[in-house]
Amino acid sequence: MSRSYFLELAAKNLRMPIGADLVLHQHRDPAAILLDGPRLGDVIAEAAVSFGTPLAFPIMDLKLEKAWLLSLLGVPATEVDSYHFAEDPGADTVTRLVAGLAANPPPPRVAANLAALRHVATTTPLYPVGMSIGPFSLATKLLADPIMPVYVAGTGATAAEDPEVALVERALELAQTIVLHSIQLQLQAGAKAVFIAEPAANQVFFSPKQLETGTDIFARYAIAPNRAIADLLVAHGVDHLFHCCGEITDQMLTDFCSLHPVLLSLGSSRRLWEDAAIVPADIVLYGNLPSKRFYSNQLTPPESVKVMADELEAKMRATGHAFILGTECDTLHVEGCGDIICNKLHRMLNLIPPIPAE
Amino acid sequence: MPLLTDLSAAVAAGKRIDTIRITQELLAAGTSPQDVVEQGLVPGMANVGELFRRNEIFVPEMLVAARAMKEALKLLEPLLAKAGIKPKYTVVIGTVQGDLHDIGKNLVAMMWKGANFAVVDLGTNVSADRYVAAAREHNANVVGLSALLTTTMPAMKETVRLLKEANLPNVKIMVGGAPITQAFADEIGADGYSADAGSAVNIALKLVGEAA
Repeated sequence: MSRSYFLELAAKNLRMPIGADLVLHQHRDPAAILLDGPRLGDVIAEAAVSFGTPLAFPIMDLKLEKAWLLSLLGVPATEVDSYHFAEDPGADTVTRLVAGLAANPPPPRVAANLAALRHVATTTPLYPVGMSIGPFSLATKLLADPIMPVYVAGTGATAAEDPEVALVERALELAQTIVLHSIQLQLQAGAKAVFIAEPAANQVFFSPKQLETGTDIFARYAIAPNRAIADLLVAHGVDHLFHCCGEITDQMLTDFCSLHPVLLSLGSSRRLWEDAAIVPADIVLYGNLPSKRFYSNQLTPPESVKVMADELEAKMRATGHAFILGTECDTLHVEGCGDIICNKLHRMLNLIPPIPAE
Repeated sequence: MPLLTDLSAAVAAGKRIDTIRITQELLAAGTSPQDVVEQGLVPGMANVGELFRRNEIFVPEMLVAARAMKEALKLLEPLLAKAGIKPKYTVVIGTVQGDLHDIGKNLVAMMWKGANFAVVDLGTNVSADRYVAAAREHNANVVGLSALLTTTMPAMKETVRLLKEANLPNVKIMVGGAPITQAFADEIGADGYSADAGSAVNIALKLVGEAA
């Protein structure tokens, strides 16, 4: 556990995007690289080096665990993206999943990610970071309508009383099982930190109005599964990096902080300089330039990026809170816009000198 | 009529059982199904949209209200069909190709349904060709395109281009989704942009020429 390492990086005013996907797409065969662990590891390392960070962040593909889970339950690969459970698949499904995970090697994409982690850990001086979708966010991907069951559960209905609650709770159990397994494999592969992306733990899925009534649904569905992850990582001396780019309330932020991650990454809807008052001093705040809009020069003029970056950094410096300036999420490649996005990341990193005044 | 007002309130509060009971009472009292929809359900859902815009309720409460409305429509739709009454406007909606997210799209579809539009929901990962075909087949007034991922923005642009080229002069194109802005909508030639589901009805009504 090297909380101090992240605090040092923050103290050195590190700026870094999460952007391996962009670098991947600068290569001529990205699809092939995604299946080739050592080459993928090289791309991750290339991204870290080109962005000037010692942290080797992998590709943030939040569809992997769903595909893996469903493949072990016999869902054809062509159907996994759109597949949803229509009803509680039953407790034996969890048993089947556990048995399937024990008996089968991970699917090719996951295996390549693990090999890439191992490659980074063993052949570079970089800090290898693992990645997984959070259990709640994965559970929402397993249901056609995940919002209503969460709301119904928030009214106090139990799985025994309501089939929708039974469904969402089983989905959560399945999600938790595969996420913990995925993390265990990443630890074995040499991850020194694991980035948990939990974008659905937000006020779309959890009504602030309902939460005001005192329901514990956010604690039970969003926080408790992540506490199990936090405990696992602490037990292995591995850094817990937690991410939610959704719109959240201050109470949700406080609940995230109760997980005591080393680093907390938030979306651009948050004012980090105000959040600094809520977040404990030993949790590094990360983010949160609006990188989802970097693909368009009309939405985000290139010259505005440095201004935004400098302003945010100055505001955060004024708070005294540990902070790493970065992007609001994974900065994904957008077809035809790769150069535009990269240009803005370079401006964020001060790698492009300003145009001299006339 | 107080019962219609009660129905609106029950829908807005998401009270499913009350919504069904009041709908049944209105029908038993001789209120026409069309009036129940237009003077009870539609104002109720309009109120939901307004409360959402004002951040007084959130997505889950919208969905609860929509569920209540759907229960009433289950009673009303057979009667409306029997009377030959159809919604005035038809809208086609989907999430663009490459994007599997459907929460925003579903919310807009729900609000449009609540405004008594005929809604053709194409689902997620919809190709430009499917949008064009559906718009033509259903003689749509509005086609709604949703996207959550920045990576699928080019697909939205391409869909707008093909819809514009398809020679469907009565079709208005409306776009929305987390990364979408008015500037992007203008850039790709969409006719309208809705920042949230609560505004989607008014924008669509403006596009079809009704003052909202």
